[in-house]
Amino acid sequence: MSDEQLEKSKILLVEDEENLAHGLEYNLSEEGYLVTIARDGKEALKYFDENDFDLIVLDIMLPYFNGFEIAKHVREKHPQMPILMLTARTQVEDRVKGLELGADDYLTKPFHLKELLLRIKGMLKRKNWYQKVVIENPIYIFGNNEINFENLKCSKDKNEFQLTSYEAMIMKYLIENKDKVVTRKELLENVWNMNPDIETRTVDNFIARLRKHFEDDPSNPKFIVSVRSAGYMFQIQD
Amino acid sequence: MRRKHSFVYNLVIFILAQLVWLSILLLWIYWYVKNNIIFEQVGEKASPQIVYDAPSVFPFVGGIVLLTGLSVSLVLIFRHLNIQLKLNELYDNFIANVTHELKSPLSSIQLYLETLNTRNVPEEKKKEFYGLMMRDSERLKKLVNSILEIAMMDKKKFNREFEVYKADETIKKIILESAEQFNLDPNIIKFSGDAGCDIMLDRNSIKTVFDNLVDNSIKYSVAPLEIMVKFKRSTKKTEIEFSDNGIGIPHDQIKKIFQKFHRIYDKDIPNVKGTGLGLYVVREIIKNHKGKVFAFSEGKGKGAKFKIELPIYTEKKKSLRGNKKDFKNE
Repeated sequence: MSDEQLEKSKILLVEDEENLAHGLEYNLSEEGYLVTIARDGKEALKYFDENDFDLIVLDIMLPYFNGFEIAKHVREKHPQMPILMLTARTQVEDRVKGLELGADDYLTKPFHLKELLLRIKGMLKRKNWYQKVVIENPIYIFGNNEINFENLKCSKDKNEFQLTSYEAMIMKYLIENKDKVVTRKELLENVWNMNPDIETRTVDNFIARLRKHFEDDPSNPKFIVSVRSAGYMFQIQD
Repeated sequence: MRRKHSFVYNLVIFILAQLVWLSILLLWIYWYVKNNIIFEQVGEKASPQIVYDAPSVFPFVGGIVLLTGLSVSLVLIFRHLNIQLKLNELYDNFIANVTHELKSPLSSIQLYLETLNTRNVPEEKKKEFYGLMMRDSERLKKLVNSILEIAMMDKKKFNREFEVYKADETIKKIILESAEQFNLDPNIIKFSGDAGCDIMLDRNSIKTVFDNLVDNSIKYSVAPLEIMVKFKRSTKKTEIEFSDNGIGIPHDQIKKIFQKFHRIYDKDIPNVKGTGLGLYVVREIIKNHKGKVFAFSEGKGKGAKFKIELPIYTEKKKSLRGNKKDFKNE
């Protein structure tokens, strides 16, 4: 997907710090994105419900509804919506909570403009790639599991649950590369579009969550197996 | 989670300690009574002629007193621990809030600097960005100053320049300066009443008081803001009533809002930013002026009122610092 096609992507920017919101709006508009600013949680939910967006940049500490509550609401309505959390909080619990509630990426303040723009571009690219590959093959069945890559609804035995967009993307990537070793670096570069020198633990966290979803015994995985000092591999054992 | 656990842990230890204490007390009484009976029986059988001397009551009573003392100490330790836990919790919140308050303007400054460094920004926009960066650095400066001020207050080190001023004239001017600083239209502030007296104050710290009050009024208002300032005087003090039409203060919070680090967490509050230091600073400064400050609110959505009482300066009175300063007429 070319960069030109990413332009005109609609971004909902939820940030109550006026100066920061203004600077971000300027930069995102300069990149060709169409930006809508929400100054608090109420506005964010209203704009999200009334419009179509391609991506959400979300602060956590917000008046009325915080970023976690908004992420939850967005996920319920639109499981594939990419959410980038942008926050001053650095505690691990916040990061974990954000990712659990469905944020796809997390950037702490103060951040570098270049990094932010790269991550946004990466997220939009992946969203487009994902939408394209999913049209061809929306449902995948392995073991007792069924994944619908369109609405991200899954079932294991009779239990139904929902994947976040990143979980689905990783699963899709692993399935596309079935029986091949996928390195953490590869996942970071292709799914997160991130510098692989950092954040390798993010991959492990996501893999642990996927195992919880799909494995009978997550500590002894059968589908998403670890390959020592290489990475992960998706396989279906007979 | 950790805090909840430590509270439960303390409570269990406390209850166990009380049980141990109670058991020792019961054993103590049991031992005394039993021994007393044995002494009596043995004494009577062995030699009824001997005048039986029961064990002294002193160690028995003394033991009970000591055990009771131990129990009271435990209660005090338990109380102190809980206060400490509460303070720790407030302090953690404060650190999180300060981190946020420091990082937000810093991110904004960094964003504008990187924008100016990497993009071809038109001259007009550049000027606008410089202005926004200035506002952010002002915000940082204010925050750092207030933290330093708190540190000084805690050590009871004050650097105040007390001088005599005309009460209503000076306070009015200070409030209008605060309003200007926050880009408020001065017409939304209505002044009434007349103090007609002199007061001795440190202008800079009283400015901080009204900066904090005005800032709170802005933060906690949803409708178009209105501020009312009313002056009154009695024989010994002058009263300044500062009220707004903001969202008000819940009744159960009125007493707590002047505590250090205390913040109100409420879904309906339109602003979530702050350090929990503002009103604490207000109270400490007013105290340092030998005055008092009270908060009132008829409840949520009904505005907040702060009444500040400051002593009237008379010629007979010596200055608060012992040196009479020049009379200032603003």
